[in-house]
Amino acid sequence: MKLSPSQFWRIRESQYRLIITECGSCGRKSVFKRSVCPFCGSSNVKHVESEGFGKVLDVTKVMYRWNSSDERPPLLVGVVELDEGVRVVGEIVGVGDNEEVKEGTRVEAVLRRYASDDPYGVIYYGIKFKPIKTA
Amino acid sequence: MGAYIVSGAVVKVDRHFERGYRDLAYDVVKECPDCLDVDYVVISSALPELTAHQVDLSTHIAQWLGRRVPVVRVESGETSGLAAVDLAASLVSSGRNRRVLVLGLEKVTDYPTYVTNYFYSLILDYEFEVLRSVSPPAYAALVMKELMRGGVKRECFSSWAVKMHENATSIPHAMLRFKISYDSFKDSQVLAEPLTLHDSFALGDGAAALVVSSSPNTNASSVEIVFSATEVGLPAYLRENISDLTASVKLLKLSLERYGLDLKKVITELHDSYTPYPIAILRSLGYLDGGCDLNEFEYLNTSGGLKARGHPIGATGVYQAYEVFKLLTDRLGSKTASTDYGLVHSMSGPDNVSRVLILKR
Repeated sequence: MKLSPSQFWRIRESQYRLIITECGSCGRKSVFKRSVCPFCGSSNVKHVESEGFGKVLDVTKVMYRWNSSDERPPLLVGVVELDEGVRVVGEIVGVGDNEEVKEGTRVEAVLRRYASDDPYGVIYYGIKFKPIKTA
Repeated sequence: MGAYIVSGAVVKVDRHFERGYRDLAYDVVKECPDCLDVDYVVISSALPELTAHQVDLSTHIAQWLGRRVPVVRVESGETSGLAAVDLAASLVSSGRNRRVLVLGLEKVTDYPTYVTNYFYSLILDYEFEVLRSVSPPAYAALVMKELMRGGVKRECFSSWAVKMHENATSIPHAMLRFKISYDSFKDSQVLAEPLTLHDSFALGDGAAALVVSSSPNTNASSVEIVFSATEVGLPAYLRENISDLTASVKLLKLSLERYGLDLKKVITELHDSYTPYPIAILRSLGYLDGGCDLNEFEYLNTSGGLKARGHPIGATGVYQAYEVFKLLTDRLGSKTASTDYGLVHSMSGPDNVSRVLILKR
């Protein structure tokens, strides 16, 4: 895959960090650094950073092959509700063969590779989620 | 001044390895003699920059067909086709144009499936979804799981696919004209658990043409476009319940109420890229409450839907409108209908945008 470094650089804040947009008009929160609230259209917004912890609302094991990622199936994709009450979608990694990710599994945000141009090219990193191991 | 569909043609949705965008355009207008008697052309296509390296497709198609009339291309993901019909209706009902050719074209089989899968995935938000490994089947699987938590049985989704294949057997332009059984789901390839290949649309090349005119045909083989509307939904990951396809449900509810229609009686072509979507929509509209008997619907996806007629992405909406037009004015394959209204529904991704068209005999 060929990504534009400048395109990726422009969105770095939303890829490297979990930014939450809080709306001063409707009071709702959404993930990513946005100029406009997706719920009400207001530009009366402010941005805060998530602590990076949450729980899985749902997850699916994807066996479908498509080449947007260097990774090959299967991979886990889920909707995560952050502790700040905001939902985000993404890949869940670091799951052992005998481990199960299900509704309610606690996860934390980690920085992992999204893609690379080629063996000598740019490597793009971003947020994924990893289950929090409990003793 | 109104907007009427007065003519049309389609080519079989298939893997047309010998045909490119230009060939498909030629093939379909050849079947529709008055399709070139127009003063404007609207082309709907979602993927030509990716699958054919072609920018400004509409101009090149017009040149290839020897037309010097104004031409434009409409792209709105999987809803491109209905968006094009909507634009054509606006052009003629406003009085700006007399007759507009809507030409849905898509060429998707020139690459290995996984490459086309990637192109198709770009109907989602590239920066916030695709880069994060989120694909259309992943969303469909999550919707399916949510519905199953709400009590919908796996067989319900299977019954949709079985019914669509059955419908497609009598449609000459359908891609998958064979029946499947409930048993076949057991061996179907998993796309994203619990969604299987049998729950997914058939991907094929296609071309469909419609002429939208400011006046009806004198021989009465025309239908009026009485309603055309669009609604943009929230990104799926922001929804309270991922199986709430609110944009589609809102538009369909509005349409049914305004015209006093019942989906059990009216000709309907519902967007069914993945089986959970029509099931979610029908349940939200109050149907399928007591089970999953699709035989209650007299004219639901007579074509076989995206599931079996096939889904040439940006052309699909034109196919759907053509199919309803044919059922209202004549016959579709061996099928006829005795109702005055037909409804077309299209959406892109998990209800990112939805469009509804109502046609009246």
